[in-house]
Amino acid sequence: MLWSQNASPLRSRNLCLVVCISLLSGVLSSLPDLSDKSCTFKVTLHNFRVILSWELKNRSIVPDRYTLQYTVISRPDGVKIVEHCSNITASFCDLTDVWEVLPETYAVMVDGFRGNTTLVTCFTDFFLAAEISLEPPEFDIVNFTDHINVNVNFPPVLPKILEELLQFHLSLIIEEQSGEIVKKHNPALDEHVIGNFTYVIDKLLPNTNYCVSVYFMPRNLEAIRRSPIKCTLLQPARDTGLSESARIGGIITMFLIAAVFISTIIILKRVGYICLRNNFPKVLNFNNLSAWVVPEMPPWEAVAFVEVIHINRKKKEWNYNYDDESDSNDEATAPLTSTGGYTKHGLLTGLPGPTSASSPTGQDCLELDTEEPNLSEPKGEPPMAPEPSLGRGKLLQDCFFEDGSSTEEAGDKIVFNVNLSSVFVSTLDDDVSTLDDDSDVPPVLPSFPEEDSHTPEPSFLATSREGTQQPFPTPSAECPWPEDVLSDKRDSSEPNVDIGDGYIMR
Amino acid sequence: MTSRCILQTALLVYFSTTVLAMNYNLLRFQLSSSSVECQELLLQLNGTSKDCLKDRMNFKIPEEIQKSQKFQKEDIVLVTLEMFQKTSDIFRRNLSSTGWNESIVENLLATLHWQKEHLEEILEDIMQEENVTWDHRTLLHLKRYYLRIVRYLKAKEFSVCAWTIVQAEILRSFFFLDKLTDSLPN
Repeated sequence: MLWSQNASPLRSRNLCLVVCISLLSGVLSSLPDLSDKSCTFKVTLHNFRVILSWELKNRSIVPDRYTLQYTVISRPDGVKIVEHCSNITASFCDLTDVWEVLPETYAVMVDGFRGNTTLVTCFTDFFLAAEISLEPPEFDIVNFTDHINVNVNFPPVLPKILEELLQFHLSLIIEEQSGEIVKKHNPALDEHVIGNFTYVIDKLLPNTNYCVSVYFMPRNLEAIRRSPIKCTLLQPARDTGLSESARIGGIITMFLIAAVFISTIIILKRVGYICLRNNFPKVLNFNNLSAWVVPEMPPWEAVAFVEVIHINRKKKEWNYNYDDESDSNDEATAPLTSTGGYTKHGLLTGLPGPTSASSPTGQDCLELDTEEPNLSEPKGEPPMAPEPSLGRGKLLQDCFFEDGSSTEEAGDKIVFNVNLSSVFVSTLDDDVSTLDDDSDVPPVLPSFPEEDSHTPEPSFLATSREGTQQPFPTPSAECPWPEDVLSDKRDSSEPNVDIGDGYIMR
Repeated sequence: MTSRCILQTALLVYFSTTVLAMNYNLLRFQLSSSSVECQELLLQLNGTSKDCLKDRMNFKIPEEIQKSQKFQKEDIVLVTLEMFQKTSDIFRRNLSSTGWNESIVENLLATLHWQKEHLEEILEDIMQEENVTWDHRTLLHLKRYYLRIVRYLKAKEFSVCAWTIVQAEILRSFFFLDKLTDSLPN
């Protein structure tokens, strides 16, 4: 009972509070919304126009007209009423020609009226360059066989704020999509672009479906709003064969293959892997063998083969025993004349004697000696060339070289060519005549200057064979000439033939 | 020998030019990215100017900056460095009255500091390698501009309306800075 007595005042109090709160909320709701959050503002670039639109959050409040005012933050300018946006029923306003500065913070106030009552006042401020929403422009496409023309309709006159937008803030993007392949085209726009703007998307495949979309891309890469996609099917190509691009590609491919092939051939040829060279140097060219024929000696340079017979004699020892007619000399010395420094070398001449393989004996030598007179020629005649006496000369040499001393064998003969035109040849007729005088003196033999009568002169031929070369060979061989044969006719007979003044030059 | 030296010198000049061109392209991209990021951070700082219209002030940004006058690339580097430096100095002051999100402010300061360091390095290279005649007049005007902003804040005692006005002004200056860096040569 007591609780019931106390409850009734509480109930009435609570009821009053509830009623008051309800009434208060109702009143408040009926009051104009003056908060900043009453409206949602949006500024967009629609069809190249700057449009400010708003929407009341409280849909229960429906003003019948609006009035728009604005000001800028960067300057302490007054609030400006937009004339063409005063007492308008629409909830948007075209501010393209009002707002001319892009980098500016605009403070906007929108009053919503019903009758003479202001139902709502909305306020906002926004940085236009960052918060303007770019709607895609309107465009048309025209399809061809291998390309598409995209036409974007720009206004005939660009507003100032649009110039600044196109100059710096945004770029036009044209997307081309075929299947899952998307290509973006960014045509260059300047602030002077007006009227219809046409962009050609080329290098497309005929008889293929392509979809095109156009939109603006802001500099700050904010949300992009793409236009509705417009698709088209390209016309089929008239040629059933390869397209022009495929044809060009084939030609280029064939050209590259040919270039690679030719370059490979050239490289292999240069390296010598193929087409080996056969162009030998000129020095190895033996085709003109006639050029390598040893030329014949000029006819005026006749050469006679002469066999030089050297006799190595001991120096004659002067024997003062005049009683003995025989010559104590065992060797036949060739008459030696020395005239004016010249050394005379005599060459034996005579009929070619019988050649024998064996070494000649002393009898052969004697026989050879007896044959000597037969070989004498008329005195008046110049000495003959010793060609016919080649064999005799050989025999003589064998005789003289038979003593077995430091002489050479018969086979160790030196044969050399003597140019008789450059050699003084003396006749041996006087010598032969002396021989006829019952002398066994052998014919004139090559002599050598007397240096030491006791020392046998060395064999010149041996020296020659050792490599030295003497201009005038001297007799070097010794031959076992019988002592009785040899006689020194020079002691008693006529002096040696001094032909120092009587050289016969051939 | 002479032809070889000439060829080497020509190659050196060509590649040096190429490298420098690439550096300025990279700098342009970096500056643009930094400017856009700073603008986004500033826009995230809540506030309204509805009750601050009486505190508006024309800080008179230099006309050379506002009209995007043609500068040589060295002056662009110097001007952008000055703008990043001064903006960073402003937002390091007393922000207690604004109620702004501290993380947003820290991100803003970090972006400003990073870009400032990068510009200082580039400026040192420019001063060492090239003989440049600086545009001191523009730099002086810029210093005076930021000095007016600081004096305004001090005069308004760093009130929320003062910071709202300054926020809008700095946002506007970054737009002009972005246009300025876009004029860097390739």
